[in-house]
Amino acid sequence: MKSSIGINNIVQFILFVALQILLMDNLVLYSTGFCYIYVAFLLFLPININRVLLLFLGFLVGFTVDVFYDTMGIHAAASVLLAFLRPHLLNLLTPRDGYDISDSVNIHVMGKGWFLTYTSTLILVHHAAVFFLERISFDDALFTLLKIVVSALFTGVVILILQLLFFSPKRTSRV
Amino acid sequence: MRNLFAFIYRFRAFLIFVLLEVLCIFMIVRYNTYQGAAFFNSANKYVGEVLEFQSGITDYFRLTNVNSTLARENALLRQQVLQYRRAALIDSTRTLDTTFVAVTDTLQQHPYILHAGRVINNSVRRTNNTLTLAIGTDDGVQPGMGVIASNGVVGRIKTVSRKYATATSLLHSQMLISAKIQKNNTFGTIKWTGGDYRTALLDYIPLHVKPAQGDTIVTSGYNTVFPEGIMIGTISSVAKEADKSFYTIRVKLSVDFAQLSYVYVVENTQQEEREELEQNAGILPNEE
Repeated sequence: MKSSIGINNIVQFILFVALQILLMDNLVLYSTGFCYIYVAFLLFLPININRVLLLFLGFLVGFTVDVFYDTMGIHAAASVLLAFLRPHLLNLLTPRDGYDISDSVNIHVMGKGWFLTYTSTLILVHHAAVFFLERISFDDALFTLLKIVVSALFTGVVILILQLLFFSPKRTSRV
Repeated sequence: MRNLFAFIYRFRAFLIFVLLEVLCIFMIVRYNTYQGAAFFNSANKYVGEVLEFQSGITDYFRLTNVNSTLARENALLRQQVLQYRRAALIDSTRTLDTTFVAVTDTLQQHPYILHAGRVINNSVRRTNNTLTLAIGTDDGVQPGMGVIASNGVVGRIKTVSRKYATATSLLHSQMLISAKIQKNNTFGTIKWTGGDYRTALLDYIPLHVKPAQGDTIVTSGYNTVFPEGIMIGTISSVAKEADKSFYTIRVKLSVDFAQLSYVYVVENTQQEEREELEQNAGILPNEE
């Protein structure tokens, strides 16, 4: 099981952040569906990555997006929360015989059920944090909830498409 | 002591998590407020360059739109110039000597300077929308100045770097703009509550006035940010609610924020003098 970040993670960081800023910023469905594709970088990191490093990476990617979105701290806070919860969720989702050496976050390797539970939970938490921090208050909570659900669906579908298109069914992870 | 270190080491991930979250919350509270300014924002040089590159590409797809807007504005300005020229021909008092005209008339001094700037980043669908302009301190832009487009009010400058500036859009949950109904000079406050980016609310219009659908809303000129009489929008609906002492008025904004490409930053040359006077007189500056 790989535990350090490789060159493909760095490439993913740049790709996902660029995708977020240059494309997804302009792609909003009916003012409710936002796609925060940059979380895919955090989701696709090696399973056994150091928790502290993961937290700092979460802060880094959230902060980078914040700088471009002019939303100081909102995406950083949500990403750090995601980074903190990720190892715990991975523990909960451990397969019967533990994680394998060659396991990575890959729909072909880990199976559909595992992958969907993993991504949908973390994306929901992240999006809930983003939209409630943006509003600060709980008024208009119904609209915020709608935004969270629609956006999480949107991001989830895009991540699923990325997985099916670019991740090989072989038991090694590639970009 | 060793136990303490062991404890810290054992819970290092959680402690770092708490630390980072506190840092984030601090940043949210400190820099996300409407007047707050930060070094790390889209007015930053490198961020600005990326955004300018992006808008350099996307702007090509909107050239027709931009051109027609500018042409329309030119036509309007030309029409006004012609009107003034005719008025000047008919009214010859200006050419008479100063015995009849007060030369100290402040209206003659034109206290507002406009700086044209290109919009390189814009959003309309978030709760707090901002703009980034490719114009900065080198061009005379300062924080707090008003931003207008050819057809109405856009927002207010938040932070400035040498070549770029960020502006709080009117579509920001904490942005308030002092406005008035043009036909009877009743003043209220324009505020955007989220949702549709074409409509805003006009607050504090007392029940004794009779606003009607289609009335024009303009800036009041009660603060130094916007000149008086800049278009904001027209009333689209008026509602009287049972337990409120003010109308609930919806205003259709005249500016289409999704189509912004060029805006003007308003510099008020008499701002300092007026604010100093108001402060010395004990009137707190109107923060809107």
